[in-house]
Amino acid sequence: MTETPAIAFESVTFRYPGAERPAIEDVTFEVAIGDRVGVIGPNGGGKSTLIKLALGLLEPQSGSIHVLGETPERARAQGLLAYVPQRFDAERALPVSVRQMIEMAAARNISWRRRTPAEIRMRVDEAIALVSAGAFADTPVGRLSGGQVQRALVARAVATQPKILALDEPTVGIDPDGQERLSEMTRRLHDDLGLTIITVTHDLRVVAASSDRIACLAGKLHFHDAPEGLTPQVLAEVFEHDVSGVFGDLHVDAHKASECGGHH
Amino acid sequence: MSLYFEHFAPAIIAAIAISALCSLLSVIVIAKRLAFIGQGVSHAALGGVGVAAIVGLAPQQHFLVVAPFCILTAIAIAWLSDRERFSADAVIGAALVGTMALGALLISIAARHGARRVPGWEELMFGSVLSVGPAEATLSWIVFVAILGALIVVRRPLLFWTFDEQGAEAFGSPTTGMRMITLIMLGLAIVIAMRLVGVVLATGLLVLPGAAALKLTTRLGASIVLSLVLGQLGLALGLWASFSLDLPPGACIALALLALFALSPFGARLTGAA
Repeated sequence: MTETPAIAFESVTFRYPGAERPAIEDVTFEVAIGDRVGVIGPNGGGKSTLIKLALGLLEPQSGSIHVLGETPERARAQGLLAYVPQRFDAERALPVSVRQMIEMAAARNISWRRRTPAEIRMRVDEAIALVSAGAFADTPVGRLSGGQVQRALVARAVATQPKILALDEPTVGIDPDGQERLSEMTRRLHDDLGLTIITVTHDLRVVAASSDRIACLAGKLHFHDAPEGLTPQVLAEVFEHDVSGVFGDLHVDAHKASECGGHH
Repeated sequence: MSLYFEHFAPAIIAAIAISALCSLLSVIVIAKRLAFIGQGVSHAALGGVGVAAIVGLAPQQHFLVVAPFCILTAIAIAWLSDRERFSADAVIGAALVGTMALGALLISIAARHGARRVPGWEELMFGSVLSVGPAEATLSWIVFVAILGALIVVRRPLLFWTFDEQGAEAFGSPTTGMRMITLIMLGLAIVIAMRLVGVVLATGLLVLPGAAALKLTTRLGASIVLSLVLGQLGLALGLWASFSLDLPPGACIALALLALFALSPFGARLTGAA
């Protein structure tokens, strides 16, 4: 018997109301439990839409989506998939501290019988320690730097004890040190907690070194088994421009986009 | 002066509950930018008063019609701006004008047909707290305690929705329910605040204490306590000015709260919150 995938998309098409073209079209892919998957693609290529569909925040016009065998809505209600958003649109006028922000989400995913202040505090403390956010745990979120906000959001996600962690453009607006720290942190979360991690980004360097599999998404999906399979041609097709700059020191084998990973 | 206070004891007791209720909600109103919706809903009360006057209810019974009218208006505003993709500002503006015009028409028709007692415009606009009796004082406290209880029960999802609506949705925390609960609380608060400061100034009670408190502190718990304290301080100063100088209490309370708000940036420098 095959293991239930962490995330399974089957011929999923989604079009925003009033849009001419679908944001994502006929997308089929699976993420195995424990995998680290990077989804790269240009802005407007449907990456964030993909995560919102997996969370059940959007509903596809056709196709089916399952998260650990559940519908996205049920998976969200059970706290199976936690999300670190690209843009943090919180009401920063409200002086909510990092600890309080994490507490809101942590309390949500504890059954009411076990939802004691001590239990909530324990989960919050653990999450803060995991992302090394102790130094700013009592600071209002509105006063944090971009990198600190990102770590606080990861802590909030982890505090809900999910099986899958979805990161949407985690490095945007963060300095290189912060990016390195974030990369190290996600590696730890994967290794220590066994989380399945899906990272969506327009920057290949963010996921190249820390992903088991890479998918290229520009409306349609090109899937690769390993980052090494990506070529400049494939990326140029996905990004629709010269992409030599995004490779850094990655080793790549040249092949045509039409040979790209097989399944769409 | 003591006779004065004895005579107006129910008014003062009611005012304490009304101010406390509005101050508590004020932090949410400011953080969630609901001030204009508060303005729309408070003016909708006029439409409710018009309906109550046409039906022939005595002013003490207006609450029975005005409260559902305000709450339904708040829900309609939320629904239209969410589902029908109108801009919230346009919907609130339309509701404000529509319900006020409806109220003016109905009150005028009721007066023409000899309704028992139609409240005067000044009373509607600026309140008449000194005419509040024991029954209304009791009602104010019942509403305050009920809303305080509801706030304690839903504090976590309410805070989650207030602070980060998209995050709350992504983590499966209720958002539509929290919006509805907030609008219902807002509607109820406005209806009883009307007696204290009237339709025009009710928004002041819902905006100024929270706005000043959020200037003065960078701690969430402290901001809620400060909002309560400032609300009561504004009330005390306003009533004191009203009694001492024989001026309308609604306007005095609103101006006292405005003064505290105006001073808050200076206070913020002292507390280091600036």
